[in-house]
Amino acid sequence: MKKLLLIGLLIVSAACPAFAIDGKALLEQVDRNLSPESYESYRKLLNIEPSGAKKEFTLFTVKKGVDKVASLFIAPASEKGRSTLRLGDNMWLNIPNIGKPIRITSLQSVVGGVFNNADILQLDYTAEYDVEKVDEQGKEYLLYLKAKTKTVAYDKLKIWADKVKKLPTKIECLTEKDMLIKTIYFKDVKDFGGGIVRPAVIETDSPLYKGYKSVMIMAKVKKKTFKDEVFTLTFMPNLESLR
Amino acid sequence: MKRLPAIFLLLLFCLIPLAAAAEESYTFDPAETEKKPYHVGGYVEFKPVLYGLDRDSAFYKLRFFDNPQGRNLVEANGKIQLEGSYEKSIFRVYGKTNTDLKASYSGESERSTFYELYGSAKPLSNLKFDVGKKTMKWGKGYAWNPAAFVDRPKDPDEPEQAMEGYILATADYIKSFDGPLKTFSFTPVLFPVYDHVNSDFGNNNHLNVAGRFYFLLYDTDIDLMFLTGGSKPDRYGADFSRNITTNFEVHGELAYVRNVVKNVLDASGNRHQTEGEAISYLIGLRHLTSFDLTTIIEYYHNGAGFSEDEMKNYFGLINKGYDAYRSTGNTALLGNALQMAEGGYGRSNAMTDYLYVRLSQKEPFNVLYFTPAVTGMMNLCDGSFSLTPELLYTGITNWEFRLRTGVIVGARNSEFGEKQNDYRIELRVGYYF
Repeated sequence: MKKLLLIGLLIVSAACPAFAIDGKALLEQVDRNLSPESYESYRKLLNIEPSGAKKEFTLFTVKKGVDKVASLFIAPASEKGRSTLRLGDNMWLNIPNIGKPIRITSLQSVVGGVFNNADILQLDYTAEYDVEKVDEQGKEYLLYLKAKTKTVAYDKLKIWADKVKKLPTKIECLTEKDMLIKTIYFKDVKDFGGGIVRPAVIETDSPLYKGYKSVMIMAKVKKKTFKDEVFTLTFMPNLESLR
Repeated sequence: MKRLPAIFLLLLFCLIPLAAAAEESYTFDPAETEKKPYHVGGYVEFKPVLYGLDRDSAFYKLRFFDNPQGRNLVEANGKIQLEGSYEKSIFRVYGKTNTDLKASYSGESERSTFYELYGSAKPLSNLKFDVGKKTMKWGKGYAWNPAAFVDRPKDPDEPEQAMEGYILATADYIKSFDGPLKTFSFTPVLFPVYDHVNSDFGNNNHLNVAGRFYFLLYDTDIDLMFLTGGSKPDRYGADFSRNITTNFEVHGELAYVRNVVKNVLDASGNRHQTEGEAISYLIGLRHLTSFDLTTIIEYYHNGAGFSEDEMKNYFGLINKGYDAYRSTGNTALLGNALQMAEGGYGRSNAMTDYLYVRLSQKEPFNVLYFTPAVTGMMNLCDGSFSLTPELLYTGITNWEFRLRTGVIVGARNSEFGEKQNDYRIELRVGYYF
């Protein structure tokens, strides 16, 4: 009798999806490992041309919840004081000379180069994408993501994530027809303190910009909470006061 | 005449090696992110311009009647802007100066002023007070802002240029919500107009009150604004902006002004005043294609603008005055026309209906930081227009190079046809530090 029960349990266990990977939970974990839900950070963006010429931008970024991000350019001098705000699908750019925030789109780039506004003002992946399926490839998971709405910058994402660290190593951004728009590589996993261990360098290249490369270097990633009022058009010219 | 451009070129090219050296670094030193309580920066610009003059146009006659020019006119312009701020606790002081230098047929000139100089206090994250000289820049339009009640008029040829502010006291109160109304903010403004304080704004000896209410409602930016107090006729306005899709934005602006007083000329050349309400509005869109072509289109109705007949009468006055000057040396009529120019006829876009179209292609052929663009502005009343192609390069850190030409097309007695130039070629070299 006991043998029968044991054999039955073994069969059920083997067939049952209890061991199947919960894609949504995995993606949530990847999001949280990349950054706390609310945080501040500094980033340096480098656009590197095929000739080796570089252009650098330094940004101070704050995020709250799943859909609020604001960034302030602190260098170079030509960009200093510019700020960007994202509330869900809404994005604005405030240029001190123009004086009032103007709406921008996710596919544009306020810095030029391969990173676009959606990359710079990145929300949680779970806020914008559903997990269609998860494959296992050796030491990595491969998550297939589909945009929840048409307003998301990339229709599909393929995320390769380290099984142990639950951190992305590579992301391919694709159109609805599976055309590759860009590839993002996550490198140099670093301990930022406060339990935040994540890649410090993000590189991207694109078949649409052959020979060009953009790099994002993270620094001072810290958990921090902010009032909702910080993420408003009226507050945009005052982001410097949060530093 | 030759000294100013030479000094500017020398200054600019001395700074080029500094920019190149700044690009050597590839690391991210956290020290770069340290915040200092003060900030000092600035911008230097050199802009030589070649004008191709239309010597039969009304505005050429008005400007050069006593000093005729050849077919071309060369002008060298320089601009120096310095800005600085100091922050301590909840307080901040900010200042920005502007110096315009010009060397032209009439000699050298210089004008320096504070564009902004104000103090701020921020007792709460959702409450801020500012007192001093400040630009407010209300409205959602790109080329025009009929609802910018407490700002100087924007130059539609250079809509992204820094502008001089007014002396005022203002506050910002912000409140965020969950639900369809995500943000509300209120910006009250106290706007004094007295001798030596904003005296160019309107009637003196009034303390005006203005305000703006902002709502982010159903993913749409909405503003309601007003100005009252006596320096200008009372006015009320509204604007909106919304993204229809990720690459398509629409915006609009409306201003209602009570009792607009306008100095106009009748067919006999007699000056008289008209009074009535005026409604001005603007509707526009911004679109981005998958290949990075940005299109901005705006239609603007200026409710206080001059009709085609009123404009023809004005050009008639100038021509009559010019003929009188040529035959008798009498400048009375031209003096009258100059006064009328300052009273409104000489303003850019002085008539009623305009169309603005700007196409800019970001980084064509994968050339980073290179943006060619073409801008067209048409007077829909008389069919005259200007067309302005430009090439912009921002590939060297903190440098900006723009080559621009402007071609003006229009028949006699049309707005653009009577401008002093047929074309314009300008180079603008700017350096930020």
